[in-house]
Amino acid sequence: MRSRRSDDRAERLLGTVACLTFVGIVLMVVFVTQRAAPTFSHEGLSWLGAGGDVDAQIGAMANGAASIHVRVWPLIYGSLLTSGLAVLLALAISLLTAIFIVDLAPRRLRGLMLPVIRLLASVPSVIYGLIGILVLVPFVGNDLITAGQKESVINVIQLTGAGLLVSVAILTVMVTPIITALTIEALAAVPRSWHEGAVALGLNPVRATIAVSLRAIRPAIVAATALAAARALGEAIAVDMVSGGKAFSPNLADGVIFVYEPLRTMASTIIDQGENLSVPAVRSTVYALALLLMFSGLVLSVASRLIRRSLRKYELSS
Amino acid sequence: MRRRRHLTAATLAVIAALAAVPAAYAASTISMSGATASFPLLELLAGRYSSLRHGSVHFKISQGGASVGIADAAAGRVSIGNSSRAPQTGDPSGLYFYPIAKYFVCIVTNSSNKLANLTGAQAQQIFTGKIRNWSQVPGATATGPIDVYSRTSVAGVLTTFQNTLLASGKVGSFATQEASEGLMQNAVKKDASGIGFLSDYFALAKGVNAVGYAGTACDVANVVSGAYPGVSDFYEVTKGPASGQNQAFIHWIQSSAAARKIIQSNWIPLGKIQPVVKSA
Amino acid sequence: MVAGESTQPPQLSARRRRAGRRSAVRSWRLRDQVVWLLAWLAGTMLCLVAGSIVVFLAIKGIAYLRPSLLVRSPSPSANQSGSGGFLDPLIGTLTMAAIGTVVATPLAVATALWIVEYGRPRRLAGLVETAVEIVAATPDIVLAIFGLALFQFGIFAPLSFRASSGGVYGRSFLAAGLMMSLIALPLTYAATRNALRAAPSQLREASYALGKTRVATIRRVLLPKVRSDIATGATLGLGRIIGSTAIVVLLLGASLQNSPQGGVPLLGFLRGTGSTLTSYIFENSPSGEGNAPQKAYAAAFVLILIVLILNAAVARIARVGSGAAATAGRLSL
Repeated sequence: MRSRRSDDRAERLLGTVACLTFVGIVLMVVFVTQRAAPTFSHEGLSWLGAGGDVDAQIGAMANGAASIHVRVWPLIYGSLLTSGLAVLLALAISLLTAIFIVDLAPRRLRGLMLPVIRLLASVPSVIYGLIGILVLVPFVGNDLITAGQKESVINVIQLTGAGLLVSVAILTVMVTPIITALTIEALAAVPRSWHEGAVALGLNPVRATIAVSLRAIRPAIVAATALAAARALGEAIAVDMVSGGKAFSPNLADGVIFVYEPLRTMASTIIDQGENLSVPAVRSTVYALALLLMFSGLVLSVASRLIRRSLRKYELSS
Repeated sequence: MRRRRHLTAATLAVIAALAAVPAAYAASTISMSGATASFPLLELLAGRYSSLRHGSVHFKISQGGASVGIADAAAGRVSIGNSSRAPQTGDPSGLYFYPIAKYFVCIVTNSSNKLANLTGAQAQQIFTGKIRNWSQVPGATATGPIDVYSRTSVAGVLTTFQNTLLASGKVGSFATQEASEGLMQNAVKKDASGIGFLSDYFALAKGVNAVGYAGTACDVANVVSGAYPGVSDFYEVTKGPASGQNQAFIHWIQSSAAARKIIQSNWIPLGKIQPVVKSA
Repeated sequence: MVAGESTQPPQLSARRRRAGRRSAVRSWRLRDQVVWLLAWLAGTMLCLVAGSIVVFLAIKGIAYLRPSLLVRSPSPSANQSGSGGFLDPLIGTLTMAAIGTVVATPLAVATALWIVEYGRPRRLAGLVETAVEIVAATPDIVLAIFGLALFQFGIFAPLSFRASSGGVYGRSFLAAGLMMSLIALPLTYAATRNALRAAPSQLREASYALGKTRVATIRRVLLPKVRSDIATGATLGLGRIIGSTAIVVLLLGASLQNSPQGGVPLLGFLRGTGSTLTSYIFENSPSGEGNAPQKAYAAAFVLILIVLILNAAVARIARVGSGAAATAGRLSL
């Protein structure tokens, strides 16, 4: 087929439009890095460490303190804690749900499950946050936390019900549909004969699914988990509403009270400081946090690619 | 081919016209940011002023806290900053603070907690964390541990509260920090063992109980008579002396009867036009 | 074996089949029995959670939603518990959806067409694909911040407004709408690209054999074929736009009423600030100052209805088109 001038023109036009996305992203990364640079140049990497009350430090900067001084480890810890727990719980629930849908559900229920999952995935995060703060937080604060528990930590922190427990609960519900949907899709690509062969050899259907099908789609599960983790790390609004509004590092040594303690994540800090962004010191710190979040998303994506490559011998389709 | 060129030319002409028209319609905009305590007042004043000027002046008011407003005004990011505190050391220099109204700060508890009065010493002990349980506060009907709420450090109301009602002490870091007056009001409203402090517009609303200080009830009469100590001014902050539209607006607030009526609805008008305060 | 006879094992009656399965569970090892129980729990819990969310929102929504709320603007003060509805946020949501889709769809379709039909130089095509993947994986809040950095740059002052002392505000319907198009882009792109790849090559070859140029082939043959997949992708993007809160909170200026900037009718509105249903819910929750949880519930009910309708629309359109778009839809949750 000979190419005509209109083809060349169309190719150039489409190519330019296609590259717009690429150029836009590069521009944004450049701008944000430029705005975030003061924090990095001022403190090197020590601003990621621990030391002092992050809320007070950000407050001092917003108040016009000339120099940038902040230690954001409590925020990083908060993000890692909530996202990590949520992803672990979601992984367990998703795999069990996948087994349920594929093996155990009666036919009518099976047809119901996919719309249910899609529904859970498309509920806006602000509605999750609303239900969290109007229903779950008062429930935890009034019915689950006892006065004795409040007293025991009163010198360190106030327990109001908003904290780790509600944050993880909401994040788990938000993230489960992602892993479940991708797992079911990958399971559909496993040849049915593998499962039937395992059952013929004497395994019960559930064990056959676990030992054969789930094992075969391990790369897909890894990819789904990475996607879910990136989503959990980046969730700002819902977490901001239920996490307690204090940059505190929940302490495992407190026993059960550990799950009631408030915290703050990197993403919710960005939302919280939205009004203060005009102050340069706060702005560069917030933009630096945004860079961190983007960077962690990239790291997750690369890591999942590496893990999938090492599992390649089990991969069914690219 | 020719048709396509004509089409392109026509599109470009339309876009150019659309870009030029806004210049012809220029209405001026006054942008403001800053204190959350004076935000309700400024909204009312701005609305009135805008309608009096038949829409030739628009306002864009955001919040963020008094210190944010001061910083924004100093850096030229907004035309006028709203402040609920006087200038202090550490503020940028060259700013002009125009006082426009008086307000006062009340200690508040949840409406179920019928605490009528706190002495100065009691207030200090509660907010610095020396007293942690309602059983140690005579007159309180709440029980259990005290949930203390405070404001983030950019708040002018926090400065006023600490200077006038805490004898320049500082609220302890254990307190939950709320980012605005509205959020503080929310927090105290839904926490039966909560205690905090609010500017008068928010404190005298339903759902919170305004606590007296050192035997004086927290209300307008006591402030006007001078009996209640927790008083400060709202300021409008500009970089350098106010000029043009900004100056017209501030002058209108300070001198017109319409503005005075608005201020009187929930706050306290200044006796006469007070002199401007300059930052160091 | 007689010709035509089925080689399937004899069909047991349904009751016999069910009885067989149940007795089978009792004979499993304990480990597998535990998994059986947990799997049932997980599945039913998920259904219960979804059902209770919808039922709860419906109860609260019907209790608090009045038609007047839909047609009245929010009251101008920060305290929303008095009169006033959410007309402005509703208009805001629709505007966001319109701008986002109008900008994202041509961009996504053009990108997909270029990648699938041309795609040279290879390196560049790889970069563009990676860029779209990165956008797909980036959380909303990061995109919002990036957008803020971009639109507060001097060049983009016409998109919002410039304060009297030089700073660009950077927040407006246009700014937020452009960022919304970015989050809808990967969904539409993936749907279109999958559909184009799934189109059989004979289709293109037949067109070339008839002497058509590549451009004409795209315009007259391929695009009509993947129309419903583009629609599916666009609707998925629409769903994501309508549910996004972080971008609105940071990039729309958070004024309860839509306040236009400048006097020009449409352009002033787009350059001005405003709110959407999502930011309205956020402001009226205890995390914001609106102080009106009832209105938040009402708005949440309206929002979830819109989302449900969009979901049904996606299912409907996807059924009409090829399966490629539906796959893309599931993948991009």
